[in-house]
Amino acid sequence: MIRTQISLDAHEYHLVKEEAHSLGISVAEYVRRAIRANLPPPGQGPWMKYAGLVESGNVRSSQSIDEIVYGTKD
Amino acid sequence: MARKTECYVDTSALIAFLDRSDSYHPLFRQLFSEPPPMIMSALVVAEGHGWFLRRYDSRRALQFLTFLEVLPSLTIRMFDAGELAKTGRVVKKFADQGLTLADAHGLAIVAEHKIPICWSTDRHLALTGARLVI
Repeated sequence: MIRTQISLDAHEYHLVKEEAHSLGISVAEYVRRAIRANLPPPGQGPWMKYAGLVESGNVRSSQSIDEIVYGTKD
Repeated sequence: MARKTECYVDTSALIAFLDRSDSYHPLFRQLFSEPPPMIMSALVVAEGHGWFLRRYDSRRALQFLTFLEVLPSLTIRMFDAGELAKTGRVVKKFADQGLTLADAHGLAIVAEHKIPICWSTDRHLALTGARLVI
């Protein structure tokens, strides 16, 4: 592991500390997990981190774009 | 020498990749993992951005634009007066199909470049004979 130093504002630090505590992990581990979640999967291009960016709950999401963008006729 | 454009990408392919709920998500996840030279209409960018803006918020819409910026091998075809004329002809030809301008521009690009494959879940994109990946 490479040791590094980051700066957080007080509010963010307290939020991170609370979240880490609730998960039973250290602040350092919490930060590592947050970084991993935002990096592309190993061996894949940076665009792959956007795969599954959202979860609409609609299995026909890609086939109902026009209803969202253009609306439906009255 | 640059590789020939191999596929046309429409809004539905992008949404299927980005929305993990979509039934075609696994297919497009696999396809986008090793993207070939691709082309799309600038109208697809506007449509995708609009989808995220209306379905979610401006933060998600910006993430969509960032995704397109990092997507390699992608050519975005502008939509100017010349393209409008070509696209208008497609709209007239398929007047009974209720094509959006983005669909029609896609069909015009596919025909012009003789692109054999469309990454799309929208059957409209197969109207001129290109094969859909689904």
